Amino acid sequence: MTALSPIVEDWFSAKGWAARSHQLDVLAAERAGHSVLLIAPTGAGKTLAGFLPSIEDLIATPHDGLHTLYISPLKALAVDVARNLMAPISEMGLKIKVETRTGDTPAARRQRQRFDPPNVLMTTPEQLALLLSHADSARLFGNLKRIVLDELHALVTSKRGDLLALGVARLARLSPHVRVTALSATVAEPEILREWIGAPVAPRPAVLIHAPGGATPELSILASEDRVPWAGHSAAYAVPDLMETIKRHGTTLLFVNTRSQAEMLFQNLWAINEEALPIALHHGSLSVEQRRKVESAMVGGNIRAVVCTSTLDMGIDWGDVDLVVQIGAPKGASRMLQRVGRANHRLDEPSKAMFVPANRFEVLECEAALEAVAAGAQDSERPLPGGLDVLAQHILGLACAAPLDADATFAEVTSAWPYREVSREKFDRVLDFVSTGGYALKAYERFAKLRKTPDGLWRIANPQIAQQYRLNVGTIVEEPMLKVRLVRARGIKKGATTGPIGRGGRMLGEIEEYFIDQLVRGDTFMFGGEIVAFEGVVETEAYVSRSFSQNPKIPSYMGGKFPLSTFLADGVRRIISDRDNWRALPDQVREWLELQAFASVLPGRESLLVETFPRADKHYLVCYPFEGRLAHQTLGMLLTRRLERARGQPLGFVASDYAIAIWCASDLSALIRTGRFSLDQLFDEDMLGDDLEAWLDESALMKRTFRNCAIISGLIERRHPGKEKSGRQLTMSSDIIYDVLYRHEPDHILIEATRRDAARGLLDIERLGTALKRIRRHIQHKPLERISPLAVPVLLDIGREPIFGEGREAVLREAAEDLIAEAMGR
Amino acid sequence: MSSAHPLTDGEIITISFRGQSFAPLISGALYWPAHETLLVADLHLEKMASFARSGQFLPPYDTAMTLARLEADIRLTGAKKLIALGDSFHRDEGVQTLNAQDRTRISQITGSLDWVWIAGNHDPSVHRLGGLCVNEISVSGCLLRHEPERGGQGLIAGHLHPAARIAMNGKSTRRPCFVWDDNQLILPAYGASTGSLNILSDAFAGLFNRSKLQVMVMGRDRLYPVGLNRLVRG
Repeated sequence: MTALSPIVEDWFSAKGWAARSHQLDVLAAERAGHSVLLIAPTGAGKTLAGFLPSIEDLIATPHDGLHTLYISPLKALAVDVARNLMAPISEMGLKIKVETRTGDTPAARRQRQRFDPPNVLMTTPEQLALLLSHADSARLFGNLKRIVLDELHALVTSKRGDLLALGVARLARLSPHVRVTALSATVAEPEILREWIGAPVAPRPAVLIHAPGGATPELSILASEDRVPWAGHSAAYAVPDLMETIKRHGTTLLFVNTRSQAEMLFQNLWAINEEALPIALHHGSLSVEQRRKVESAMVGGNIRAVVCTSTLDMGIDWGDVDLVVQIGAPKGASRMLQRVGRANHRLDEPSKAMFVPANRFEVLECEAALEAVAAGAQDSERPLPGGLDVLAQHILGLACAAPLDADATFAEVTSAWPYREVSREKFDRVLDFVSTGGYALKAYERFAKLRKTPDGLWRIANPQIAQQYRLNVGTIVEEPMLKVRLVRARGIKKGATTGPIGRGGRMLGEIEEYFIDQLVRGDTFMFGGEIVAFEGVVETEAYVSRSFSQNPKIPSYMGGKFPLSTFLADGVRRIISDRDNWRALPDQVREWLELQAFASVLPGRESLLVETFPRADKHYLVCYPFEGRLAHQTLGMLLTRRLERARGQPLGFVASDYAIAIWCASDLSALIRTGRFSLDQLFDEDMLGDDLEAWLDESALMKRTFRNCAIISGLIERRHPGKEKSGRQLTMSSDIIYDVLYRHEPDHILIEATRRDAARGLLDIERLGTALKRIRRHIQHKPLERISPLAVPVLLDIGREPIFGEGREAVLREAAEDLIAEAMGR
Repeated sequence: MSSAHPLTDGEIITISFRGQSFAPLISGALYWPAHETLLVADLHLEKMASFARSGQFLPPYDTAMTLARLEADIRLTGAKKLIALGDSFHRDEGVQTLNAQDRTRISQITGSLDWVWIAGNHDPSVHRLGGLCVNEISVSGCLLRHEPERGGQGLIAGHLHPAARIAMNGKSTRRPCFVWDDNQLILPAYGASTGSLNILSDAFAGLFNRSKLQVMVMGRDRLYPVGLNRLVRG
């Protein structure tokens, strides 16, 4: 039995509580000198479990200076945890100084914290990187005893996790006896996380402690009187049911996948909110003040429902949430389990959650998610090898603190789990990149950022480099945004293409530049709750005018950030392929599948169904890999390239989480029937060779990925005092940099970093590769006379989702033909 | 997916300007057969290298890329003379930062033909790389210089890096272009490191007579004449 000190023991009994077993287990492990991974659901007393060892240690041995460093992915969470910790400390009458340090902390206090630190400091990975870049970091952290990492599961799958891992490795070197306690939600592979936290503080392995889980959640799928639509993402059909649900519950959290879905649902709810229930909106594009207002209203219990995006996925315990509603595709089982957990305010009571599919495929996905969550299945992403761009940033940060020894630094960074497999050769290339750009052509020796001292250490060439580093620190790269301003329309005057746009209207907010890039004047889209028409871009502002159209022409759905998980995709295939699984489905969905079985065939669990059919004056190819939107976009791009070569004359394609539809001028069914064209060849894995290379060469997605790597690695700067670059200029120049670099040094360390990111990120090449392997020689072709029931939702997405294809050159050709027609008098 | 095209397939595309006939190339150069002269604008050599001073080490290959383009165009046309319409270097200092390889390539070109370097706002100074450094030059009734100007007569210039965004059936694409009317002709920027500016932007205001304006955009492997009704901003 682990003994608590009398002060803590008294505090527990005064409260009428007892320490929970996992809290004592963490304490015991720490006392034995181990690091700890605590996996616990929300509401399990994680904060106290994390800090009990610090309190005990500080009672036993008064400590001068920084004892415990707490790191959270969210500023707000750091502030909240500090508050939750200060209460027991003051009730116990202890003199333990607790402070937070975030981007919002006044400069004077941040300065003071460096020479007069508190005992417990609560901060973020970025602030840690900044602290480590100062010469006094060795003194500040030299006697650090404990590191507490919160919500580790959310950090380790991103580059912020890479930065954090490197920061912890440095702390372990500055203070060799430091121990790590990490707090995490349930993950698919806890062993990996255990290794992750244990690696830098070896030799003692980290201990894995599971807090008992809460009651099994109560889950349901909305059974609406109305028909589930064939396609679309708005779930407008379910709004009256949702309103009733909100009325029946105290507080409801309504999760959606994208900002525009949040806007639309919020509008639709208010349109029928006759009782004027307090229903709020919370998403990332709203101003910080607006979000804080909603959050405090929630804590105060003054709100009945919040429509939110992933912004409320983690963080503070928001008072009493009675019901969590997921609207639209759940995408992944672990994600859902965490969202469901947001309603878990008391451990012994079950969380209550409801799924609301927005279309028929999503009914299947919700069914698969429901089974997965009920079974406690996990499909969280596993942490990946660390980004070389992040390593470059970190190396420069270390050099800013003190001249660095290459051998010792190599040993240090490879003690961080994400970098454990980095070779010395690669490390040296990154060092060379930081120093002079890492080019085969040695052009920048005389401008080197790092210079070798006579005793063989790498030292920054001048103090400005440290200043520059501190302005660029961090791995979060904002999407370039344009301000959206409402102006008067120009009207439809002949030849008005160069007429002045009315200036100076109301600012509506900000929108991603890549979205605006695809628009032409007159295109309508939904923004800030109204439908507007695009007028043009003036400097860094997008001008829009009020539109009277009923339906926005350009969708802004874009599918959200996350594709359907492999695990859920398999669940969907399993449900479709076996009639026994259809019993739980709503009648209309079951009928839809019956119809598919009758008119075409059902997609198999391991095979790939490919349908070809004529429609209007075009020929369609629709296939159903269920591999998620990103892999499908890549596959669509590659298939159209190959179809073009095979004289299929592809005109465009559209990709969803479930399927791809390609339309062509040639009769594909006939080409296949007469043996002039083979689907096995079309879907052959060799598309990931030359075709992929050729496409990467010009892919906008590669360029977007490169831009992130270039900023994180410090190749191009985020901002500079006085001469701030607009996002627009930055994008343009990073595209050109990519072109020049890719052509001349395709094996450069940054191209390598970009390819790695693209393979797992926007292009999802890894998943596509696995899928192509799976379906090899399992392609089931079904030529049809007309569109199949399963293909209907996919084809309805045309016009909703962005359309890809060889398009760009065709625009020019058509425009030129147009001119000729005009010249010949039509 | 190519279709035969009466105006542009199978014959050389030409631009007629001030009674002269020019052949625009896919690279953005303009060949003047009557004078066996190749015109290029805004090479911006050593642009990437110019960022090194501020601690940004951009790939130092843009100069080599631009010179390779130039060599290919000279081979293709057999030009006897090369006129660079200013901003050949991103900064005057670029003449010094050239690496040995690129310097040799330039002297090989200046050894094989007459290179006329017109001064630009980025590179106003005279240098000794071979060829002739001038502020402007007059050829067959055309005045060749760096910057266009309002009311200019027979001007062939660069400076503005013209590009056009073409919209068609709800899709759009943005490409560098040649743009001209009866009085002025502006070449696209030739350098590998150059950006571009939409011809509908304010910088072009008042330069052209709209009713006479013509635009030729650079596609992936050919040029396309485009009507004004297809141009959009952005």
